[in-house]
Amino acid sequence: MTARGERAPWLTLKMREAMEAWLFLSPTLVGFLIFFVGPLFAVVWYSLTEWNLLSQQTTFVGLDNYDDALLRNPDFWQVVRNSIVFAIGLVPLNMALALGLALALSRRFPGVIFFRTVFFAPVVTSAVAWAIVWKFLLQGEAGFVNQMLAGIGISGPNWLREPDWAMVAVIVTRVIKMVGLNMILYIAALQAIPRDYEAAARLEGASNWQIFRMIIWPLLGPTTLVIMVITTIGSFKVFDHIYLMTGGGPENGTLVLAFYIYQQGFQFFDVGYASALAMIMFVIVMALTIVQLALRRRDT
Amino acid sequence: MKAAKGILAASTFALMLGSSPAWTAELRFTVWTGNEAHLAMLNGIAESFKEKHPDVTVRYETIPAGDYTQKLTFQLAGGNPPDAGWMMEDAASTFANAGVLEDLAPALNAAEGYDLADFSEPAMGLWTADDKVWGVPFSTSPFVIFYNKDMFDSAGLEDPLALAEKGKWDMDKFQEVAKALTEANGKWGFEFKDGQGYDTRIMHALMPPIRAYGGDVWSNGECGFDKPEAVAAVQQLHDMVFTDKSIVPPGENGDYFSGNAAMTINQISRASLMPDAGFNWGIAPLPTGPGGEAPVIGQAAIVVFAAGRQKELAAEFVAHMTNEANVAEMAQFFPPARNSVLSSEAFTASNKLIPAEQMEIVGDAIAKGSVLPSHERSPQLLAAMKPRVDALWRADANVEEALKAVCAAIQPQL
Repeated sequence: MTARGERAPWLTLKMREAMEAWLFLSPTLVGFLIFFVGPLFAVVWYSLTEWNLLSQQTTFVGLDNYDDALLRNPDFWQVVRNSIVFAIGLVPLNMALALGLALALSRRFPGVIFFRTVFFAPVVTSAVAWAIVWKFLLQGEAGFVNQMLAGIGISGPNWLREPDWAMVAVIVTRVIKMVGLNMILYIAALQAIPRDYEAAARLEGASNWQIFRMIIWPLLGPTTLVIMVITTIGSFKVFDHIYLMTGGGPENGTLVLAFYIYQQGFQFFDVGYASALAMIMFVIVMALTIVQLALRRRDT
Repeated sequence: MKAAKGILAASTFALMLGSSPAWTAELRFTVWTGNEAHLAMLNGIAESFKEKHPDVTVRYETIPAGDYTQKLTFQLAGGNPPDAGWMMEDAASTFANAGVLEDLAPALNAAEGYDLADFSEPAMGLWTADDKVWGVPFSTSPFVIFYNKDMFDSAGLEDPLALAEKGKWDMDKFQEVAKALTEANGKWGFEFKDGQGYDTRIMHALMPPIRAYGGDVWSNGECGFDKPEAVAAVQQLHDMVFTDKSIVPPGENGDYFSGNAAMTINQISRASLMPDAGFNWGIAPLPTGPGGEAPVIGQAAIVVFAAGRQKELAAEFVAHMTNEANVAEMAQFFPPARNSVLSSEAFTASNKLIPAEQMEIVGDAIAKGSVLPSHERSPQLLAAMKPRVDALWRADANVEEALKAVCAAIQPQL
């Protein structure tokens, strides 16, 4: 005789299973709600208020913060332009370099592990150490980079003190730091492509370029999309690198969105305005991601 | 019986719980020093507070100077305020106006033998409003010129202290010796404070010459950067950087303390770095200018937070910490604002690294100087200034136009 026969079950099996599932999920779910969904909604609310962190005074101001950022604050548009320039400079350079390195290092040859390690090492290097070393190398006349350039008769700029060159400097040093990550993703994707395709194409007399253009590049499509999306998002969110290398200067030349948000929230203690800027950045990044996904869908 | 025992035990326990916190208290006090000698001295002051309050302990919490104001703000916003702490001059107005500081006047006036009028009036300026006292300055430290005596000797030049004694230490002489030093030694003639004059120490770089020329960065809500005095002062600095090439330029390192620059500007607390520097050195007053002597002072005060749970006790501790004996004790590291201590021989003899006659320069500067500018919107002002000041530090910059742009950017905030 089973327990089932003695009395009617309090819960059906299906309900019990569902309850167990929720119980198992609950630790993660509670954390997710408190630390992820909660703050997300809180930011929306904060963005509608004027909240001075120090005096703890909060006033509901509706869409004033958005209105100010989008219509009245000239700095905001310079910041957006800087972020776009940073992304346009960084994303193609990073991806091209990552693909080139991956193509060179995806085959097995003596020393390949060494080279992969060399290119991946900056990814795991501390951002602070990286910035300090580069700031030292990129000094004006006395800097290593300019000394090298002087050796071949080129008078280098004062890299981190001239707005346009400072942007070039932060993009290039960021690419060198992060390219290893995308290189590894590309290597994994390249190694997953069956060798038979290439062998068959060669039998048909295809050149190296044709093999790359017609076979490898299309098969790398999904990986390229993922890399493009995460690199673009990453480039809009860049903060530590700017904070450490230039502090947004000179002349606001490298003042990007994430750093501007930090400045408003954590230096001016204007949390409401910073939250509105964060929401605008969220929308920009979201829109870019949707566009990239749509382009990909159209291609396939 | 059992029940009665239980009630007795419970009430004894409750009594113990209820009574013990009333007799012991811990004050949390934030500072930005991690220096062992500083902390030992501060702990000594906390120990002497026990004579009156045997069960009160003071715990000093070090927050690095760079993050200090920011972290303090988060502690206040997060409902976890320290009881008391140090505060830098540039945060004074912001915090006082936000209403987060406790008025210390009642506690100071109630403290036995405490003479508030002994504090020099200019030094108290930032920290008082009407009859309210928002903070008591513990460090009123003027900026002085540190110079590398060996470099002056090898260039065959009179050093700034000797020039000052003859009344010849002015901005023109400063420019002249900086250039001569650069040519003679192949090292920079002058470095801005901690090499940060183009970044976080803009004010420390521009303020002293502007005041020497008789100008100011702003006063009474009006920007002063575009006034003729300020333009002349900054033009001279610009010439030194780009024409004479005697000041460490933007984007280069030329550390005075490692012997790469002949002079720098700093406060006497930096003298602690000098024994390891490996060269002979001295301090001198800031060069004078057309506006006469105009010493510039950096300041820090002790404040009590209004949201603290033990603010009365904390205010009492501040009164103890800043009584005459303790101010004299602190003077070995932090130049005092109490006239009685400043004029004492104990003060000029207090710094083991700086000879008494040079300490007199410090005392003199405190008496005559004015504090670095503060403003309720200091962080916003500095952020608005920064990009325009960056534009100033180009070799081909038009100084007057660049300074007009600085004023255009900050005037709305003033």
